[in-house]
Amino acid sequence: MAADLASPTEVPGAWLVGVVRRTAFAVRAALSCRDGRVTAAVVTLGYFALYAVGLGHLGLTGGTATAVNAVVVADPLATATERNAPFQYEPVALVAVGPVEYLFAPVTVAVGVTLAVLVGVTLAVSVVAWRGPSTCRIGAGAGAAAGVPGLLSGFACCGPTVLLVAGVQASAGLLAALRWLVPIAVAGLVATLLWVGSRVDPAAAS
Amino acid sequence: MNHTRRAALGSFAALGTAGLAGCLGGVRPTGGTGTDAADANDETAAGAPPTADEPRRLAYDRDALVDESLDGGVGKDGIPSVDDPAFEPVVESDLVDDAPVFGVVRDGEAKAYPQRVLAHHEIVNDVVGGDPIAVTYCPLTGTAQGFERGETTFGVSGRLVNSNLIMYDRATESWWPQVLATAVEGPMRGATLREFRVVWTTVAEWRSARPDAVLMTDDTGYVRRYGNDPYGIYAPLDGYYAAERTIFPPLSEPETGHPKSVVLGARTAGGAVAFDKRTLLDRRVLTGTFEPDGDPAVAVADATLSTGYVYRTSADATVEPDGDGYLLTGRGAGPEGPFEPTELPLERVLALDAMWFAWAGFYPDTGFAGEHTGGGYGR
Repeated sequence: MAADLASPTEVPGAWLVGVVRRTAFAVRAALSCRDGRVTAAVVTLGYFALYAVGLGHLGLTGGTATAVNAVVVADPLATATERNAPFQYEPVALVAVGPVEYLFAPVTVAVGVTLAVLVGVTLAVSVVAWRGPSTCRIGAGAGAAAGVPGLLSGFACCGPTVLLVAGVQASAGLLAALRWLVPIAVAGLVATLLWVGSRVDPAAAS
Repeated sequence: MNHTRRAALGSFAALGTAGLAGCLGGVRPTGGTGTDAADANDETAAGAPPTADEPRRLAYDRDALVDESLDGGVGKDGIPSVDDPAFEPVVESDLVDDAPVFGVVRDGEAKAYPQRVLAHHEIVNDVVGGDPIAVTYCPLTGTAQGFERGETTFGVSGRLVNSNLIMYDRATESWWPQVLATAVEGPMRGATLREFRVVWTTVAEWRSARPDAVLMTDDTGYVRRYGNDPYGIYAPLDGYYAAERTIFPPLSEPETGHPKSVVLGARTAGGAVAFDKRTLLDRRVLTGTFEPDGDPAVAVADATLSTGYVYRTSADATVEPDGDGYLLTGRGAGPEGPFEPTELPLERVLALDAMWFAWAGFYPDTGFAGEHTGGGYGR
């Protein structure tokens, strides 16, 4: 790292502002190049798709239908804000395109998109920094690791059958912890993004 | 019957080893019933669900059951009940023949509720034969039960005990574990719901037996991927329904038998009995005893719907197959019959399908008859 940040212990406010600025710069820089954009788009879409599969909102019909079909509930606005579980809300539409069907739950989509964008951007910065000349011990795995709790939160819904697959029996403590997976994922992703951004040297990258 | 873990410890507690109570995680078989005049409040809120005169056996103290209840991961009504179901003639349904359905007949009106829909809603508040009722299903214990609901409706509390759905009634907010049919918390605590028989069968069998019936459709007021059971598949068997593991800890674990094998269970105020369903369908007649009170019981199979019926009997009575029906011998007389499986001149006891682990968890001292078989839905 060439350009130093303020000391986090001596001037924490200035340090934090510096980290945020440097991260914002790193994100802009990453998305300005093709590798970064492709990484962000692929990872964001892939992560969101996995999140939707985990929730059971995206999957195959099991049939051989080829038509496009959509069913919308009677009162989508009121339905959209009905909470089913922590960070999960009622779907308002079922869309089937051939053998694929998708349940559209607007608020849940917002949560999933937030997680997916954070993972996508973090990995984009990581990849660009790793491939660029200003690399500074940034591992691309950091963003992926931070996204795991978010994915688990999707699979942990409605059952949580993921525990059966994992061979773990639910306890009151574990079930309570599952409630916090989404906030933990967001916090972890933001922290990872700031950490990754802080490793980028604006002078070297520009 | 032998059980392991907490139930075994609980037996010591029941024998008076009070010092062990702190080690039991709150689970202590009591040998009691749902009767407790001190708890049941006669002046509960208007519109409370109607209650039964005869209680059901409770093997555990109600406080222990509340202590052992867990947040299932969804909030109250996070699994929404269906309060305005729609139906179509069963003969017009395009469900595959072996799709599981829950059949109900009341006052001549026949309806069926597909398992694929109830896996996503667990409770349907409906009217059958002019009576307001609720048909309920817990996927994790494989139990489908019907309750009279009066002017109120039932909802999913979001909590579980012994993996079993805890319902709540919207008039008093009391908690009703489905299998127990007894309130364990709230103003109705100690009261027992009025139950009626729900038959777990297939759409083809129901269509054949009751071509006049209607079948609940996917038009529930909600959108769900009804073709996707979040827990597994019954035909072919897969997922949770086939696995030996459970997601939530049972109140007690039987030492033998596949946890997800299906039993036809029945309980009275004084005891419970379980008949392995597949064995019953093979042998047609099984005898057992309600435990712990020791009353004799007999179960007969109904091949038409691949189900069975349970009767309280007497030691000198014998039931045996005769053609499609059953002969009853004893009671100081020669053979009577043949009788239809639902028409034996004995005291019929309401029966329900249940996963073996769930039944044995709620009734660790239950009587058992038949051979333990594998997971599935008892056929």
